[in-house]
Amino acid sequence: MLQKKICMLGGFAVGKTSLVRRFVQSIFSETYLTTVGVKIDKKSVVLSDKTVDLILWDLAGEDDIGSFRLSYVRGATGLVLVADGTRAATLTVALTLRERTEAEFGAMPFVLLLNKSDLADQWTISDDAINEMRQSGYQIYLTSALSGESVDDAFIQLASLVSK
Amino acid sequence: MDEPPDEVRNWLCSFVYNDRSIAYVKIDDRLLVAGKGGRVEHYGLSSLRIGEPVAGQLAFIEGLLPYTDLPFHIPMVELPNGRVTDLHFFSDNACIWLLFLDATAEHNNKQRIQQKAYETTLLREREHQLNEQLESANEALRKSQEGLSREYQRSESLLLNILPASIAERLKTQEQIADNHAEVSVLFADIVRFTEKARSVGAETTLAILNSFFKAADLLSEVHGCEKIKTIGDCVMVVAGLPLSRPGHADALAQFALELRQAGADENFGGEPLKLRIGIHSGPIVAGVIGKRRFAYDLWGDTVNLAARIQTSAEPDEIRISDATHKLFGQEFACDLIPEMELRGAGRVQMWRLIA
Repeated sequence: MLQKKICMLGGFAVGKTSLVRRFVQSIFSETYLTTVGVKIDKKSVVLSDKTVDLILWDLAGEDDIGSFRLSYVRGATGLVLVADGTRAATLTVALTLRERTEAEFGAMPFVLLLNKSDLADQWTISDDAINEMRQSGYQIYLTSALSGESVDDAFIQLASLVSK
Repeated sequence: MDEPPDEVRNWLCSFVYNDRSIAYVKIDDRLLVAGKGGRVEHYGLSSLRIGEPVAGQLAFIEGLLPYTDLPFHIPMVELPNGRVTDLHFFSDNACIWLLFLDATAEHNNKQRIQQKAYETTLLREREHQLNEQLESANEALRKSQEGLSREYQRSESLLLNILPASIAERLKTQEQIADNHAEVSVLFADIVRFTEKARSVGAETTLAILNSFFKAADLLSEVHGCEKIKTIGDCVMVVAGLPLSRPGHADALAQFALELRQAGADENFGGEPLKLRIGIHSGPIVAGVIGKRRFAYDLWGDTVNLAARIQTSAEPDEIRISDATHKLFGQEFACDLIPEMELRGAGRVQMWRLIA
């Protein structure tokens, strides 16, 4: 049995819990409910040559990066970085969290999700910025937990990255 | 610190046991579940099978074992059954003990506070964002207003170039403009042998000559209070007494004609002075603006037609005026009477040659 621990990392209210709910249960709720501590979910992903169980650690988003608890990431093999496309500052938060985990636990595969793509009129992250990150090797997905756009793709991509 | 007495320890133990629902799982060095105890049902651990691998039975354990750096603590883990627990890992005799301490109440409390805080922050962020949008929209509006007023000034000045100022002003508020003018003087002037000479000097020189001729007409119009109505090829049409009627329009136009002729004489067109043929007539006309998108202010009536006929009948370098214009002169002009002659469409006409 192949099991992999994956951590959801990002600022508060970017949609980490909603993305997990969309991916695991295919549901979405408009109501914002902040996560405290960590909520653990499990989802099997069928790849072309194997099946991998993702153990998803949905960590509380922090408005203060300093208070982030690195101990939650222990044992993780991959990261889902989540930013809110309508709040450009959350991109910096997600990237900083990755730096901190990398400094503590070493580099690990990750995907970057720019979430809330359904809110196109409030979008604040430029195409240029996205293309630049893509060119430097980031795997970026413009997702919507509301519509489900690109959510499965992103998780499946990470599943195949961590089970290589 | 002194050890508390047994009574206190027992009380403490039962207090924690009841209040925080203690449960434990024991894991051996082969990572099999070696035992469990306490309120296992509280955490949904009742079905945990002893003697089988812990991996697959406890999802959250993935990646954490074997782990040497114990004790280790993971706070506030929400379990599949909705309970929130603090997880404590510690080792004893090659076994790992996993202690569950309920933290649901603390979690819910913290969640309430955090929810409020984040919602407030989100609102503030959104407000900030909207303010920025508002400011940039205002800025864009201001810029487009500036552009608009520049455009307006440009079209205003273009309109003034094409139309007399008072007509342009009326055109902005009125659909149609057609005015009867009881008495004005109309002048036509063209360049003698223009087509033939244009061919010999080439387009560039021709254009330069036309340009200085029409510029002279513009300048002199302004000097003498006349209006240049239009140019047709090498011909220019100028009127005096329009759009506001004025006395002395015949005098003004005669003066204009004399100076225009002199301006031509000072030019060089293909090796000789620029010679004009000028005709003037006075009488009633209708003036108006035609066109919807490209405006043209023009004059109509027999007076206009006759002025044109007189002009074509003039000799090179001659200013030929009708008797009607001659009669209107208030100033002294040197004129020669021309023997009455037949003009096409006008019958026999009495005309004068304006000399100086």
